Amino acid sequence: MPDDDYKLIGKSVPRIDARAKVTGEALFTADLKFPRMLVAKVLRSPHAHARILNVDTSRAEKLRGVHAVVTGKDTAGEKWGVFRYTRDQQLLCVDKARYLGDEVAAVAAVDEETAEEALKLIFVDYEPLPAVFDFWSAVAPDAPRIHDEYPRNINVEVKIEVGLVDEAFRNCRLVREDTFLAEEDSYFMSEPYAVVANCHADGSVEIWMPNASPHTKAKALSNALRLPLSQVNVRKITIGGAFGGRSDVFPAEFICSLLSIKTQRPVKLVYTREENTIATRMGHAMLTTHKTGVDKNGKVLARESICWLDGGAYSSTGPIATSVPFLCHEQAYNVPNVRFYGYRIYTNKPVRGMIRIHGRSFACGVDTQLDMIGEELGIDPVTMRLVNARRPGETTPTGSHVASCGLVECIEQTAEQSNFLAKFKKSVPNRGIGMGVNSVQTGFPLGIRGGSQAFIKFHEDGGATVISGVVDNGQGNDNMLVQIAAEELGLPMSEIRLISADTESTPTDAGSYSMISTFGGGNAVKRAAEDARAQLFEVASEMLEADPEDLVARDRKIFVRGAPDAGVPLPKVVRQALLLGRPIMGRGAFNPDVDQRREWIGNPSGQLSQAFSFGATVAEVEVDPETGQVKALDVTCAQDCGFALNPLIVEGQFEGSVAMGGQGGMLAEEHRWHNGHCLNPTMLEYKIPTIKEMPRIKPIIVETIDPGGPYGAKEAGMSVAMSSAQAYCCAVGHALGIYFNHYPLTPERIRDAIERKQESKGIKTAWDIEPARIIPPEPKS
Amino acid sequence: MQKHLLTMRVNGEQVELAVRPNATLLDVLREDLELTGVKEGCSEGACGACAVLMNNEPIRSCLTLALEANGAEILTIEGLATGGRLHPLQEAFVEQGAVQCGFCTPGMILSSKALLDRNPQPNDEDIKTALAGSFCRCTGYAKILEAVRAARDGDVGNEGS
Repeated sequence: MPDDDYKLIGKSVPRIDARAKVTGEALFTADLKFPRMLVAKVLRSPHAHARILNVDTSRAEKLRGVHAVVTGKDTAGEKWGVFRYTRDQQLLCVDKARYLGDEVAAVAAVDEETAEEALKLIFVDYEPLPAVFDFWSAVAPDAPRIHDEYPRNINVEVKIEVGLVDEAFRNCRLVREDTFLAEEDSYFMSEPYAVVANCHADGSVEIWMPNASPHTKAKALSNALRLPLSQVNVRKITIGGAFGGRSDVFPAEFICSLLSIKTQRPVKLVYTREENTIATRMGHAMLTTHKTGVDKNGKVLARESICWLDGGAYSSTGPIATSVPFLCHEQAYNVPNVRFYGYRIYTNKPVRGMIRIHGRSFACGVDTQLDMIGEELGIDPVTMRLVNARRPGETTPTGSHVASCGLVECIEQTAEQSNFLAKFKKSVPNRGIGMGVNSVQTGFPLGIRGGSQAFIKFHEDGGATVISGVVDNGQGNDNMLVQIAAEELGLPMSEIRLISADTESTPTDAGSYSMISTFGGGNAVKRAAEDARAQLFEVASEMLEADPEDLVARDRKIFVRGAPDAGVPLPKVVRQALLLGRPIMGRGAFNPDVDQRREWIGNPSGQLSQAFSFGATVAEVEVDPETGQVKALDVTCAQDCGFALNPLIVEGQFEGSVAMGGQGGMLAEEHRWHNGHCLNPTMLEYKIPTIKEMPRIKPIIVETIDPGGPYGAKEAGMSVAMSSAQAYCCAVGHALGIYFNHYPLTPERIRDAIERKQESKGIKTAWDIEPARIIPPEPKS
Repeated sequence: MQKHLLTMRVNGEQVELAVRPNATLLDVLREDLELTGVKEGCSEGACGACAVLMNNEPIRSCLTLALEANGAEILTIEGLATGGRLHPLQEAFVEQGAVQCGFCTPGMILSSKALLDRNPQPNDEDIKTALAGSFCRCTGYAKILEAVRAARDGDVGNEGS
């Protein structure tokens, strides 16, 4: 159980970065200004698919105020890819443009207007090629190939089979097959993407940009620029949200660095909101067909899931993105026999990455289908979920031991506090209630960058500075590190400084994707603080003539347990250590206990993550059948976060998750297209939730004290984001007596489903969607 | 393009500068006056990150020409704290956990200030209406609502307790 004696841990202390953010002092990338700084702009392909025959930059270069122009010829030929085997993206197009917006050239000029004028003076000879805009046409045998090496445009193929799936289906009381489709969604983080690069006379480059892993960005740039890693210094900067959309490497930072090197001046590139949407990352469209078989009690005995993901023009995090929707659900529900086929398919559209509710169609499909099966068997949704819920101590089909799991508590508490069963059974017209269940990882096997390290040094007055590679995207990681260090060292948070997310001065960290920051970076800082404290106790034990084992650090003092008044002030111990030539230098490292042999495609088996979070969300909605408008009334969300290091921050993560996952993610958010043009790349047309639409949210923190997490903590909020989408989906369905299978549930879709309902009978989904099928391997030619 | 003289009071100080007629107030505040607490989120008046107060009313500085501010009183987030003391709304945003990434925070606080100056006792609907033009992608707005309520009720200054 958590130690009730914690001074700071488990307490709702305000964030250390909040004051700078409420005064406007916090600097984001676009706020940076340097002497002689130039402005960069990017020329983008107007074609969704075209061969680039020639790029003539001569007139642009001659324009007054233009300092440099770069094209594919300036690349060193290094393609970017998250994995060695997925390197498919030139960071400036060399031979082809593969989506409308692909980076073809860029300029650096004295101001924005000159840069924009210069773009008009770059003449590109394109040979337009046939293009494909959805997965059905992309996998057709005669479809144009977007990358020569990938037949049928299949970028990634993941196959997982565990147990005796076909035999289990034969023994099922009931087997259903249903298909679910979700459109593309987007991050719309508040801060548009921006990069500042500053090249120095010693050949090094400093770079600032919103990122979810400074070390990943630095390594990719070091490869692309052919510079030693020590010469590429990614700096700390305030970051305006990520949600998965800052995890990858983009052409922008390469282009900006290249322009800075070429001009030997600082260069700033600020993306427009439209560029942020189309030229960083967006969410995948996804088609999922679930075949699920259960026994008479609703226990799922077997499931086969086939997924097609529209990946856009390049791989990005492809192998991870293809697998994660399945993996989350092999964690959340205990299904002994599973088969998964995942295909990520190239199309001539912007590149897709992982998003906070990645896998909407998979996840909503799982819970919608459980409700359909429950109706057929006469079993309520809560029982359906409890019967199948993951329990602690179990092992997932692909071999991950689940050390801690409070899913049953999450389901029971949300059901009880929302009075689920009574509301589900009592039919109020157009009112509905639904429950979603999900689980996420805290970290993946990431090889040499999977762990985190930290140092702590002391000031002569007893204050300390923590040095950690962890990056804060806005979720509060900086505060988390300082809160942990302060707890361990017995210092107030105000006397601890933090140096973080700077690749020159801070050690490696896994990055803030995969929900690892608290588990990995938090553990590393905790260990560094424990190490520093042990050194302090060694010195203090001589001063106090006591055994180091008996000492306690608290309130800037070190004392023998139970005798705080006889202690020695911490600053005195720090100074004594300096005098003795034994300065206090704390160091700590943490590598999560995962199976490094596990690989997304080659070997999807072994411990995936050391810990998993679990969540359940209940949504209550009211639907206007005339307009198709949904009003969310109440949302009750629970997550097993291991231990809430700071409940105020954890609640904030839950609430934000409901907004993005459920309110926006299930009711409104989708991109619309015409021949590869994104029709709603900006905030005017793409509808994210405002304060007006938000329901009342009741966050419930469930604590299971994970044996590996710092103080038992895992991650905060992601399981709520994902289960919120499912809860909203099931609630709207319950309100109307419709099983929805095309997301998000916009008023148009809801109206359409209501009209179709009049004609249909039986327990079936709203729309007949062509199922995702196994794609047979291409015959060898 | 010929420049025009712009005179305004910004955060209590008289400012005089030559601006191009097509410059937005956002450009002038961020670039010329280096008040980078004014954020540019969408450039089309949708997100509210660029909100500043002009004569005590919240406006979207990205859609306002700088010359429209001639003779006006402008308040940006940098001008809200006095003598190192945070405004109660700033305190409330810190204490209630209403700040996550912080990009929307200046606009949120300024719009809330205009509301409280106009209506010291707003109910939840009043607060929501006042903040309906400000997008936050992190918080789900729950703690922002709580922060404005706390500032309204004078329930601030409890930091660290």
